[in-house]
Amino acid sequence: MDTNLRQTIYETLSEVFETMYFTFLEPLFETPTQEEIGATDASYYEATISFQGAKSGRFRFYLPQGLARGITVNFLGVNATDVNESQVLDTVKETANMAVGSLLGRVDPGGTMKLGLPRSQATTDFSAADLLAQPGLFLFNTEHGLFWVVYDEGE
Amino acid sequence: MAFNILVADDSETMRAVVKKTVEMSGVPVGEFHEAANGKEALAILENNWIDVILSDINMPEMGGMDLLRAVNASADYRRIPLIFITTESSEARVEEAKRLGVAGYIKKPFVPETIKTILYEVLAKAYEHQMADMPRQGGEDSDMDF
Repeated sequence: MDTNLRQTIYETLSEVFETMYFTFLEPLFETPTQEEIGATDASYYEATISFQGAKSGRFRFYLPQGLARGITVNFLGVNATDVNESQVLDTVKETANMAVGSLLGRVDPGGTMKLGLPRSQATTDFSAADLLAQPGLFLFNTEHGLFWVVYDEGE
Repeated sequence: MAFNILVADDSETMRAVVKKTVEMSGVPVGEFHEAANGKEALAILENNWIDVILSDINMPEMGGMDLLRAVNASADYRRIPLIFITTESSEARVEEAKRLGVAGYIKKPFVPETIKTILYEVLAKAYEHQMADMPRQGGEDSDMDF
Protein backbone atom coordinates (compact mmCIF):
# COMPACT_ATOMS: atom_id res chain seq x y z
CA MET A 1 0.00 0.00 0.00
CA ASP A 2 1.13 3.52 -0.82
CA THR A 3 3.07 5.08 2.09
CA ASN A 4 1.20 8.38 1.84
CA LEU A 5 -2.15 6.59 2.05
CA ARG A 6 -0.99 4.64 5.10
CA GLN A 7 0.08 7.89 6.76
CA THR A 8 -3.24 9.56 5.89
CA ILE A 9 -5.14 6.63 7.42
CA TYR A 10 -3.10 6.87 10.63
CA GLU A 11 -3.63 10.65 10.80
CA THR A 12 -7.36 10.49 10.04
CA LEU A 13 -8.08 7.89 12.69
CA SER A 14 -6.03 9.73 15.28
CA GLU A 15 -7.88 12.97 14.51
CA VAL A 16 -11.29 11.34 14.90
CA PHE A 17 -10.40 9.80 18.26
CA GLU A 18 -8.77 12.94 19.62
CA THR A 19 -11.43 15.38 18.41
CA MET A 20 -14.55 13.39 19.21
CA TYR A 21 -13.45 11.16 22.10
CA PHE A 22 -10.46 12.91 23.70
CA THR A 23 -8.64 9.62 23.27
CA PHE A 24 -5.10 9.35 21.98
CA LEU A 25 -4.00 6.62 19.61
CA GLU A 26 -0.38 5.58 19.28
CA PRO A 27 0.19 4.15 15.79
CA LEU A 28 2.35 1.04 15.57
CA PHE A 29 4.19 1.45 12.29
CA GLU A 30 5.85 -1.96 12.56
CA THR A 31 3.48 -4.92 12.81
CA PRO A 32 4.35 -6.90 15.93
CA THR A 33 4.45 -10.68 16.06
CA GLN A 34 1.88 -12.78 17.86
CA GLU A 35 4.51 -13.48 20.54
CA GLU A 36 5.14 -9.76 21.07
CA ILE A 37 1.42 -9.09 21.42
CA GLY A 38 0.79 -11.97 23.76
CA ALA A 39 -2.69 -13.09 24.75
CA THR A 40 -5.58 -10.90 23.66
CA ASP A 41 -9.13 -10.79 24.93
CA ALA A 42 -11.55 -12.55 22.57
CA SER A 43 -14.33 -10.06 23.27
CA TYR A 44 -14.14 -7.15 20.90
CA TYR A 45 -16.51 -4.73 19.19
CA GLU A 46 -16.37 -4.89 15.41
CA ALA A 47 -17.49 -2.23 12.93
CA THR A 48 -17.41 -2.48 9.16
CA ILE A 49 -18.01 0.06 6.42
CA SER A 50 -17.62 -0.20 2.66
CA PHE A 51 -17.18 2.35 -0.09
CA GLN A 52 -17.73 2.07 -3.81
CA GLY A 53 -16.92 4.07 -6.91
CA ALA A 54 -13.70 4.73 -8.81
CA LYS A 55 -12.14 2.54 -6.15
CA SER A 56 -13.92 0.14 -3.82
CA GLY A 57 -13.01 -1.37 -0.50
CA ARG A 58 -13.99 -2.08 3.04
CA PHE A 59 -12.65 -1.13 6.45
CA ARG A 60 -12.99 -3.31 9.53
CA PHE A 61 -12.46 -1.91 13.01
CA TYR A 62 -11.84 -4.03 16.11
CA LEU A 63 -12.03 -2.24 19.46
CA PRO A 64 -11.38 -3.90 22.80
CA GLN A 65 -14.34 -3.55 25.16
CA GLY A 66 -12.60 -1.05 27.41
CA LEU A 67 -11.80 1.25 24.49
CA ALA A 68 -15.32 1.01 23.05
CA ARG A 69 -16.89 1.85 26.39
CA GLY A 70 -14.31 4.57 27.07
CA ILE A 71 -14.95 6.47 23.84
CA THR A 72 -18.72 6.15 24.37
CA VAL A 73 -18.42 7.67 27.84
CA ASN A 74 -16.27 10.52 26.51
CA PHE A 75 -18.48 11.07 23.47
CA LEU A 76 -21.68 11.36 25.47
CA GLY A 77 -20.05 13.11 28.42
CA VAL A 78 -21.71 10.81 30.95
CA ASN A 79 -20.61 8.51 33.76
CA ALA A 80 -19.38 5.03 32.83
CA THR A 81 -22.27 3.48 34.72
CA ASP A 82 -24.77 5.38 32.56
CA VAL A 83 -23.63 3.85 29.26
CA ASN A 84 -25.56 0.93 27.81
CA GLU A 85 -24.71 -1.69 25.18
CA SER A 86 -26.78 -0.01 22.48
CA GLN A 87 -24.89 3.26 22.91
CA VAL A 88 -21.54 1.46 22.73
CA LEU A 89 -22.51 -0.29 19.50
CA ASP A 90 -23.79 2.98 18.05
CA THR A 91 -20.59 4.83 18.93
CA VAL A 92 -18.44 2.08 17.43
CA LYS A 93 -20.52 2.25 14.26
CA GLU A 94 -20.29 6.04 14.12
CA THR A 95 -16.53 5.78 14.59
CA ALA A 96 -16.27 3.76 11.38
CA ASN A 97 -18.53 6.24 9.62
CA MET A 98 -16.54 9.28 10.73
CA ALA A 99 -13.13 7.73 10.12
CA VAL A 100 -13.75 6.44 6.62
CA GLY A 101 -15.94 9.39 5.60
CA SER A 102 -13.22 11.76 6.68
CA LEU A 103 -10.60 9.65 4.92
CA LEU A 104 -12.52 9.67 1.63
CA GLY A 105 -12.85 13.45 1.88
CA ARG A 106 -9.05 13.66 1.97
CA VAL A 107 -8.12 11.12 -0.70
CA ASP A 108 -11.09 11.68 -3.02
CA PRO A 109 -11.83 15.43 -3.23
CA GLY A 110 -13.82 14.85 -6.42
CA GLY A 111 -16.30 12.70 -4.52
CA THR A 112 -16.12 9.75 -6.93
CA MET A 113 -16.45 7.22 -4.11
CA LYS A 114 -19.66 6.67 -2.17
CA LEU A 115 -19.70 5.62 1.45
CA GLY A 116 -21.92 2.72 2.49
CA LEU A 117 -23.78 2.38 5.76
CA PRO A 118 -21.69 1.21 8.73
CA ARG A 119 -22.51 -1.85 10.84
CA SER A 120 -21.34 -2.89 14.27
CA GLN A 121 -21.55 -5.92 16.51
CA ALA A 122 -20.01 -7.45 19.58
CA THR A 123 -17.79 -10.35 18.62
CA THR A 124 -16.48 -13.17 20.76
CA ASP A 125 -14.29 -14.84 18.14
CA PHE A 126 -11.66 -12.16 17.72
CA SER A 127 -8.41 -13.65 16.49
CA ALA A 128 -5.20 -11.64 16.55
CA ALA A 129 -3.46 -14.34 14.52
CA ASP A 130 -5.95 -13.94 11.66
CA LEU A 131 -5.63 -10.16 11.59
CA LEU A 132 -1.83 -10.16 11.79
CA ALA A 133 -1.82 -11.97 8.44
CA GLN A 134 -3.84 -9.21 6.74
CA PRO A 135 -1.82 -6.95 4.38
CA GLY A 136 -4.05 -3.95 5.08
CA LEU A 137 -3.59 -4.02 8.86
CA PHE A 138 -3.22 -0.86 10.94
CA LEU A 139 -2.52 -1.13 14.65
CA PHE A 140 -2.83 1.44 17.40
CA ASN A 141 -1.83 1.25 21.01
CA THR A 142 -4.39 2.64 23.45
CA GLU A 143 -4.71 2.70 27.21
CA HIS A 144 -7.30 -0.08 26.82
CA GLY A 145 -5.24 -2.37 24.61
CA LEU A 146 -4.64 -2.68 20.89
CA PHE A 147 -7.07 -1.13 18.41
CA TRP A 148 -7.08 -3.01 15.10
CA VAL A 149 -8.08 -1.64 11.69
CA VAL A 150 -8.05 -3.68 8.49
CA TYR A 151 -8.40 -2.26 5.01
CA ASP A 152 -9.71 -4.84 2.50
CA GLU A 153 -8.96 -3.43 -0.91
CA GLY A 154 -11.42 -3.99 -3.76
CA GLU A 155 -14.11 -5.89 -1.83
CA MET B 1 -37.45 33.80 20.86
CA ALA B 2 -36.73 30.10 21.35
CA PHE B 3 -35.95 28.01 18.28
CA ASN B 4 -37.47 24.62 17.52
CA ILE B 5 -34.69 22.36 16.29
CA LEU B 6 -34.80 19.12 14.32
CA VAL B 7 -31.78 16.82 14.28
CA ALA B 8 -31.67 14.02 11.70
CA ASP B 9 -28.97 11.39 12.13
CA ASP B 10 -29.15 7.60 12.17
CA SER B 11 -26.77 7.55 15.12
CA GLU B 12 -28.63 7.96 18.39
CA THR B 13 -25.46 8.90 20.23
CA MET B 14 -24.59 11.52 17.60
CA ARG B 15 -28.05 13.04 18.02
CA ALA B 16 -27.49 13.16 21.77
CA VAL B 17 -24.11 14.85 21.32
CA VAL B 18 -25.53 17.41 18.88
CA LYS B 19 -28.42 18.10 21.25
CA LYS B 20 -26.04 18.64 24.15
CA THR B 21 -23.82 20.88 22.05
CA VAL B 22 -26.75 23.01 20.93
CA GLU B 23 -28.08 23.31 24.49
CA MET B 24 -24.69 24.48 25.71
CA SER B 25 -24.22 26.90 22.84
CA GLY B 26 -26.43 29.57 24.34
CA VAL B 27 -29.00 29.37 21.54
CA PRO B 28 -32.46 29.47 23.14
CA VAL B 29 -34.07 26.11 22.35
CA GLY B 30 -37.82 25.56 22.41
CA GLU B 31 -38.62 22.05 21.21
CA PHE B 32 -35.96 19.56 20.19
CA HIS B 33 -37.00 16.88 17.71
CA GLU B 34 -35.04 13.85 16.57
CA ALA B 35 -35.22 11.77 13.39
CA ALA B 36 -33.19 8.73 12.32
CA ASN B 37 -33.43 9.49 8.59
CA GLY B 38 -34.87 11.90 6.05
CA LYS B 39 -38.30 10.24 5.97
CA GLU B 40 -38.73 10.58 9.71
CA ALA B 41 -37.57 14.19 9.46
CA LEU B 42 -40.24 14.98 6.86
CA ALA B 43 -42.89 13.36 9.06
CA ILE B 44 -41.84 15.59 11.94
CA LEU B 45 -41.94 18.64 9.67
CA GLU B 46 -45.54 17.81 8.75
CA ASN B 47 -46.71 18.06 12.33
CA ASN B 48 -44.38 20.53 13.99
CA TRP B 49 -43.08 24.06 13.51
CA ILE B 50 -39.34 23.77 12.99
CA ASP B 51 -36.93 26.71 12.80
CA VAL B 52 -33.71 24.94 11.80
CA ILE B 53 -32.66 21.45 10.71
CA LEU B 54 -29.32 19.84 11.54
CA SER B 55 -28.89 16.76 9.37
CA ASP B 56 -26.45 14.02 8.52
CA ILE B 57 -26.10 13.05 4.83
CA ASN B 58 -25.32 9.34 4.96
CA MET B 59 -28.51 7.81 6.43
CA PRO B 60 -30.61 4.75 5.57
CA GLU B 61 -34.07 5.04 3.96
CA MET B 62 -33.63 8.67 2.94
CA GLY B 63 -30.36 10.55 3.10
CA GLY B 64 -29.64 14.18 3.83
CA MET B 65 -29.31 15.31 0.21
CA ASP B 66 -32.80 14.00 -0.58
CA LEU B 67 -34.11 15.63 2.58
CA LEU B 68 -32.61 18.95 1.47
CA ARG B 69 -34.22 18.57 -1.97
CA ALA B 70 -37.59 17.81 -0.38
CA VAL B 71 -37.36 20.77 1.98
CA ASN B 72 -36.48 23.16 -0.82
CA ALA B 73 -39.21 21.77 -3.07
CA SER B 74 -41.89 22.51 -0.48
CA ALA B 75 -43.41 25.97 -0.22
CA ASP B 76 -44.04 25.29 3.48
CA TYR B 77 -40.54 24.13 4.40
CA ARG B 78 -38.37 26.20 2.06
CA ARG B 79 -38.01 28.88 4.76
CA ILE B 80 -36.28 26.41 7.11
CA PRO B 81 -32.47 26.60 7.01
CA LEU B 82 -30.76 23.20 6.89
CA ILE B 83 -27.24 22.58 8.16
CA PHE B 84 -25.38 19.41 7.30
CA ILE B 85 -23.31 17.73 10.02
CA THR B 86 -21.61 14.98 8.10
CA THR B 87 -18.59 12.85 7.35
CA GLU B 88 -19.14 13.51 3.64
CA SER B 89 -16.39 16.05 3.25
CA SER B 90 -15.23 15.87 -0.37
CA GLU B 91 -15.19 19.19 -2.22
CA ALA B 92 -17.64 17.74 -4.74
CA ARG B 93 -20.16 16.85 -2.01
CA VAL B 94 -19.87 20.30 -0.39
CA GLU B 95 -20.41 21.98 -3.78
CA GLU B 96 -23.44 19.79 -4.46
CA ALA B 97 -24.92 20.75 -1.10
CA LYS B 98 -24.34 24.45 -1.82
CA ARG B 99 -26.05 24.12 -5.19
CA LEU B 100 -29.04 22.56 -3.46
CA GLY B 101 -29.21 25.48 -1.05
CA VAL B 102 -27.72 24.18 2.19
CA ALA B 103 -27.40 26.90 4.83
CA GLY B 104 -24.30 25.50 6.56
CA TYR B 105 -21.87 22.59 6.39
CA ILE B 106 -20.12 21.03 9.38
CA LYS B 107 -17.66 18.21 8.84
CA LYS B 108 -17.30 15.33 11.29
CA PRO B 109 -15.19 15.08 13.32
CA PHE B 110 -16.08 18.48 14.76
CA VAL B 111 -15.38 20.49 17.86
CA PRO B 112 -18.45 21.89 19.67
CA GLU B 113 -17.32 25.43 18.89
CA THR B 114 -17.86 24.79 15.18
CA ILE B 115 -21.51 23.82 15.66
CA LYS B 116 -22.04 26.83 17.86
CA THR B 117 -20.45 29.25 15.37
CA ILE B 118 -22.27 27.97 12.30
CA LEU B 119 -25.61 27.63 14.08
CA TYR B 120 -25.39 31.25 15.21
CA GLU B 121 -24.45 32.40 11.71
CA VAL B 122 -27.30 30.52 10.08
CA LEU B 123 -29.90 31.61 12.64
CA ALA B 124 -28.71 35.22 12.45
CA LYS B 125 -29.12 35.23 8.70
CA ALA B 126 -32.52 33.51 8.69
CA TYR B 127 -34.07 35.20 11.71
CA GLU B 128 -32.23 38.50 11.92
CA HIS B 129 -34.94 40.49 13.67
CA GLN B 130 -35.68 37.78 16.26
CA MET B 131 -32.01 37.41 17.15
CA ALA B 132 -31.60 40.87 18.66
CA ASP B 133 -32.16 39.69 22.23
CA MET B 134 -29.98 36.59 22.04
CA PRO B 135 -26.69 36.44 23.99
CA ARG B 136 -23.76 37.28 21.76
CA GLN B 137 -21.83 34.39 20.32
CA GLY B 138 -18.73 33.69 22.37
CA GLY B 139 -20.11 35.57 25.36
CA GLU B 140 -19.81 34.22 28.89
CA ASP B 141 -23.31 32.80 28.78
CA SER B 142 -22.53 30.65 25.80
CA ASP B 143 -19.24 29.08 26.82
CA MET B 144 -19.20 25.33 26.44
CA ASP B 145 -17.34 22.97 28.57
CA PHE B 146 -17.20 19.35 27.58
